[in-house]
Amino acid sequence: FRFKESLAEELQSADLVISHAGAGSCLETLEKGKPLIVVINDKLMDNHQLELAKQLHRDGYVLYCNCSTLVETLQSMDLSTLKPFPPGQPEKFASFLDKVLGFQ
Amino acid sequence: TGGHTTEILRLLGCLSESYSPRHYVLADSDKMSEAKIRSFEQKRAETFSESQFTLDRIPRSREVRQSWISSVVTTLYSILYSLPLTYKWKPDLILCNGPGTCVPVCISAFLLGLLRIKRTIIVYVESICRVETLSLSGKILYYFSDYFIVQWPDLKKKYPKSVYLGRIV
Repeated sequence: FRFKESLAEELQSADLVISHAGAGSCLETLEKGKPLIVVINDKLMDNHQLELAKQLHRDGYVLYCNCSTLVETLQSMDLSTLKPFPPGQPEKFASFLDKVLGFQ
Repeated sequence: TGGHTTEILRLLGCLSESYSPRHYVLADSDKMSEAKIRSFEQKRAETFSESQFTLDRIPRSREVRQSWISSVVTTLYSILYSLPLTYKWKPDLILCNGPGTCVPVCISAFLLGLLRIKRTIIVYVESICRVETLSLSGKILYYFSDYFIVQWPDLKKKYPKSVYLGRIV
């Protein structure tokens, strides 16, 4: 399982995903509409991962905890409080770039 | 690298064929991006048969947590490799989103601009992971890019010259 090319199949059939705070994992899961619990590794010093997890939590898209509180979170979670995650809009980027370069 | 490649391919997916040919520059140590790029381009060629792209590699400009001084040296070394590429392709547009690899490429293009050899438009899109702080590449390229795009409002407040279009990936 270590570095499988894509977890898309597993994601599709999951009812709940528990993941680290990596952006790719979080976004892929949210886009598939699966409930997500993000586990923060407080021993890993790379704090910028936290920024996205915190924001997603603030906006109500994910639940979040650390390794030691995972069990407690699983026991007390209410997944119905999670909001559906709206997709990003790359078309806005395309229009912006078209204007900048004069392609219209 | 990984996440950066996925994000940038999502952005590219929405662009018209005016954005062609595409020249990809990767770090020599990057093992996974090439496959993702080829798969993206293959799919694209199904719709746009005239689609063209190239792929080049340059030495990785910085390892995670590499010290300042040695980073300057390794980045300069990477610039030596990226200069001939930017000189060869003379791109109208450079699109990047934050891996260390983009710094030498953008600086090369900036130098070519100073030397009046080619004026390239540099567009930097900060990763969606960056909500409150910029990446190191972002902090540098904020000053060298023509358009600096952020995906969260806090960054727009902190970096007023940036462009905020909402979440675009």
